[in-house]
This record gives sequence, C-alpha cells and structure tokens, in this order.
Amino acid sequence: MVASSAGRFSEAGLAQLTEIVSHYPDAGGAILPALWLAQREYGGWLPAEAVAEVAARLGRPASEVQGVASFYTMYNMQQRGRHHIEVCTCLTCGCLGAYEVIDRLEQLLGIHLGQTTPDGEFSLTEAECLNYCEAATVVQVGERYFGGVNAGNVADLIDRLRGSDDCTPVSLSNAIVEAIVPGRAGATHG
Amino acid sequence: MAELQVLLQHRNVPGIDGIDVYESHGGYAGLRAALGKERQAVIDEVKASGLRGRGGAGFPTWIKWNGLPKSGPAQHYLLCNADEGEPGTFKDRELLLKLPHMVVEGMAIAAYATRSANGFVYVRGEFVESATQLRRAIDQAHRRGYLGRNILGHSDFCFDLHIHTGAGSYECGEETALMSSLMGERGQPRLKPPHGPLPVVSGVWGSPTLINNVETYACVPHILTHGGAWYAAMGTQRSPGTKIFSVSGHVARPGNYEIELGTPLTELIDLAGGVVGGALKAVIPGGSSVPILPAEKCAGVTLDYEGCQAAGTMLGSGGFMVFNDKTDIVALMRRTAQFYAHESCGKCTPCREGTRWMSRVLDRITAGAGRMEDIDLLLSICDQIDGRSYCPLGDAASWPIRAGIRNFRHEFEHWVRHGSSPIPGFVPPVRSHGPSPVPGRQE
Ligand SMILES: Cc1cc2nc3c(=O)[nH]c(=O)nc-3n(C[C@H](O)[C@H](O)[C@H](O)COP(=O)(O)O)c2cc1C
Ligand code: FES
Repeated sequence: MVASSAGRFSEAGLAQLTEIVSHYPDAGGAILPALWLAQREYGGWLPAEAVAEVAARLGRPASEVQGVASFYTMYNMQQRGRHHIEVCTCLTCGCLGAYEVIDRLEQLLGIHLGQTTPDGEFSLTEAECLNYCEAATVVQVGERYFGGVNAGNVADLIDRLRGSDDCTPVSLSNAIVEAIVPGRAGATHG
Repeated sequence: MAELQVLLQHRNVPGIDGIDVYESHGGYAGLRAALGKERQAVIDEVKASGLRGRGGAGFPTWIKWNGLPKSGPAQHYLLCNADEGEPGTFKDRELLLKLPHMVVEGMAIAAYATRSANGFVYVRGEFVESATQLRRAIDQAHRRGYLGRNILGHSDFCFDLHIHTGAGSYECGEETALMSSLMGERGQPRLKPPHGPLPVVSGVWGSPTLINNVETYACVPHILTHGGAWYAAMGTQRSPGTKIFSVSGHVARPGNYEIELGTPLTELIDLAGGVVGGALKAVIPGGSSVPILPAEKCAGVTLDYEGCQAAGTMLGSGGFMVFNDKTDIVALMRRTAQFYAHESCGKCTPCREGTRWMSRVLDRITAGAGRMEDIDLLLSICDQIDGRSYCPLGDAASWPIRAGIRNFRHEFEHWVRHGSSPIPGFVPPVRSHGPSPVPGRQE
C-alpha cells in the first residue's frame, strides 16, 4: 500500500509507485525503485524532502531511507550538472586513453574532476568499470553509454550534449522507472 | 580454431531481441520441452549437462536447483544476477541487450523446475539500455503466455518476473548483498554457511531463493532443447559446454567470444585479432579479481576451470584483459586496488581498512616515494584480508595484488629504487585519490 502524504509526486508517479510496490511482499523492497522515482520527480536528485516523501509513502522511517539512498552512488544526494559525465578509468579504459579524455574534458569545460560548470550544464567524475570495456574508453552520461571516446572526439560529445534534454539525471531516472514498470517501453512491438 | 557459438549464434540476426524472430530461431522450444517433463527430469537434464555457474564461482547449477524444497508451500524466489560489475566483463550486458528472451526463457524453465512463482532480475543501474530491452522481452513473453498464470496452459505453473535495478554498487553482485539490496537495504552481505542459511533454504524475505547469473540462465534453453548429453559433449569433462569471454585491452578486435571450455588461452587472443601496440606482457583471464598471468606462463594454459587453476589463476567471470609490454603493472595494480577500496561495502574491518591501506601504499609507490618494505607490507596486508573478510570481496581484492607482486616483483622494486616507471616514458595519472568522492559515501 502506498500511503498518502504531502509531497511532489505526480499522478503518474503515484500510479507507478503503486504498481512497483505490488511487486514486493513488503514495502521495504520498493525503497530502491521508489528512490529512482523520487529522483525523477524531484528534478534529478534527492533533497531531504524527496527522501521524506519516499519514507512517508512507504511507511518507513526517513532515517532508514536516507541510509539506503546514501549507500548507492547513482542516487544524487546533491545536485549535479544537467549532464553528469562519468569517464571510466578502470583497468581497460585506463590503459586505452581514459586519462587523456579527462584531461581534454577538463580543458573543454574549464572544471576539474568532481566539479560542475558555473552554468550547471556539465559535471565531471571518474567512474569504475562500466562493463563495456570492448569500447574503451567508455563514458556514461545519464541513461546513455558512449563508447570509443578519445581525446580527439570528446569535443563532439560535448556538442551533442549541450542543450539536449536526454542524458540528464531526470531522463536517466525516468528510463529506469519505465524499465521497472510493466507494459510500457516497447509494448507496441509485441 | 574457431568460436563455438551456442548462446551467441544469432546475436546479430536483425530483430532477434523481439519475440517473433526469437521464436523463429528456436526460441521457447526449451521451455516447451521442459513443460513436457516432470520437474525432477528438468533438474536431471541440467545435471547431465554438467553446467556450472557462469557468475564467477563455477558452482554446479543443478545442485542449487535441487536444493530448493520439493514439497510443501512453494513461496520460492528465483533471482537473476545481472549486476555485472566485475571489471573486464561485459557478457551479461550484451546478452540482455541482444538476446533478452533467452534469459527470460531460461528463468521460466528454472522457475518450473524449482516451483518458483516469483522472480526478479537484478539489473545493475548503469545498464539502462539492457533493462529497457529486458522490459520489452518480459512484456512480450507475458502476452504470449510464457510468463504469468498457467504458463502454456500448464495448470500448475505460474511465474511472474520483475525487474529490480541497482543503483551503483559492485558489492551488490555478491549474492547475499544482492538479496539485501533487493529487500531495500544497503548492499551489504549476509552470513552464509556454516554461520547462516544457504539461500536455497532461506534467502529473500526468509523464503527459499535460487540465484544464478545471466549467462547461466541463458544456457538452460539450449540444454532443454538439445539435451544435457549434447551440452556435456562440448568443452572438457569437468568443465563442459561453452563460455563467453569478454576480451578487451590491447587486442585488435575486442568483444565477446564464445568458445568451448578447454580452448587454449593463446587461441582466444588470436581470435580477438592478436596483441596490438607491442608484445604480450600479461593476461587477466577472469575479471579483475583473479590473479594476473605473465606472458611466459600463458603458453599451454587452457581456458577451463581446472586449466586456469593449474596455471595459478581463475576462470572467474570470463573478463579476459590483455596487456602489451607498454603496460606498467604497478600502475595497473594501483588502479585495481583503488577499485576495491572504492567498492568495499564498509561492513567488515579487514576489507574496509585493508583495501584502502593497499591503495594508499600503491599511491605512495607510484608517486615515487615508495620504500622497499612497502612491497612486503602489501603482501602482508593481502594476508590479513584474504580469508578474513565477511564476504569474498576482500579475498578478491587481495588475490590480484599478491599475484601482481609475485609475478612482477622486479617492477615494484624498480619503482621503489628509481621513483619512476620501468616503462620508458610512462607517467602514472596524477589523480591519486581514485574516483572523486561520492556524496553520502564516507571516503
Ligand atoms: C564481490 C562480488 C561480486 C560479484 N559480482 C557478481 C556479478 O556481478 N554477477 C554475477 O553473476 N555474480 C557475481 N558474483 C558471484 C555471486 O555471488 C554468485 O556466485 C553468482 O551470482 C551465482 O550464480 P551462478 O551460480 O550462476 O554463477 C559476485 C561475487 C562477489 C564476491
Ligand atoms: S574498463 Fe572501462 S568499461 Fe570496463
């Protein structure tokens, strides 16, 4: 059961939450997917009110939900750039040019790792293996993986991202919710 | 020597990710065959195939299946581990992306055999595309009666399959941590025998739970379609069948290659187009957790569970990374240590503290400030983690470093003596703190 509560969840979001909760024998199981939903509904991150709303709707203590959310790296406990660029520097990518990609990105964006551009458009971090090593260097931005990135072509990626509405924390969270909820993505292909 | 494609045979057929094309290429014949048999006969077929888990440990699949209660209330859960996070591995991602129905079909067969009415695929959060593909496959399978109530008219077989996505944590691939995460907790491990129950006795929500890897489930339709004996005729006697290896690094054609188990290691390198950019220096054959093999130990090694073990390494998840002679092994080990330090879940002290300590010592060495004692200090930290951590993540953090030192000690000594790399011109990345701190996670 999804409890009524003050908050920002949309009608559609609440319907999705009700569906999600029905997948689990208790509301606790729905904490992770509900956090994805909240991250979409709250503009791509999880301010304290988002955590509180998830907790209230699932009937769990906010401290528990906060403890869960902060464990996982893909829940944004603070706001990130509209395009959060994560460059894999793990074993294969690290040997095949990932650090040059970072150097070039730092130059292009005028920021260092861990920072966000003043216009809020881009933030930059290093990632652990994204498990697409065949396409090293691999960069994740929101819901998309970009393979074969190198210092020579990464400027094109920035151009492609600038101003676009996909590859954001919101579109990422939305894509995940759509994958979790039955009968949506690609339902017409059956 | 060629590939032997069973799982990947049709991966490039247009539309194979959709149910019609999948069916026209033999899809769901395995489920039909299974439903024509008694449940135990399905388990026996998997036993005859000799299939071993493809998630890393190589545990015989049928033993797990056989371990779930066969009578009494059937509140069993069936889980698929699609958290693929082992550095160097990218087979599950491709299977879900291109052949999602094969995984769904394998799970439906396993659900029938084990009387499981509820299933979850735990997909790593980053794999959005794969999760989307899987969503579509599940919806299609549902509509065609392969999932849901009274599957294919079978009065006694209902199976609902859901997707649960992770949110960024390597540890959630460890099966008990995965269960914690599925139940809405931090992704930390639970006790296993002899201190806690086996998942098949008490897993998620206290119910008997079966967990297998994506590739393991993907093998099952083929085994039911063609028979366990057919499957067992491939590979070696103790490592039957085929295995997907994710080949990356300094090779001409990186990608997933499906080969018979028992294939010589050097042939896999040839299949991937050979080493580029220099001569072969080392291979990590089974993902970042397994010991590195120097080039001179690669000849004669066969890629099967026993062959890798005899060579002093492990088959693991099949994440096969190739390094040429321009690779600085100490820097590689430092990056490996950073990975484990970042991913340690923080629950137990040996792993949490040990992985960070190793990472710091390796930072010091590659900053040119290492001491000769640091090399033995690293080995001693490995000994203090290995076998002493709550879950195998700690072991997995110590094995590569120990093997790196044993096989390339001279390179560590060079770094300490000269304060620079033995590879001319190599400068390690200056970022010495690993991935930038993540909000909310204490570094
Ligand atoms: C730290 C750690 C991470 C793991 N990550 C994965 C993973 O991403 N995928 C996987 O299938 N198994 C992973 N495993 C192995 C699982 O614990 C488990 O053995 C496997 O899912 C069982 O399935 P199988 O018998 O089909 O191989 C991991 C183990 C450890 C210790
Ligand atoms: S090392 Fe970059 S994707 Fe695996």
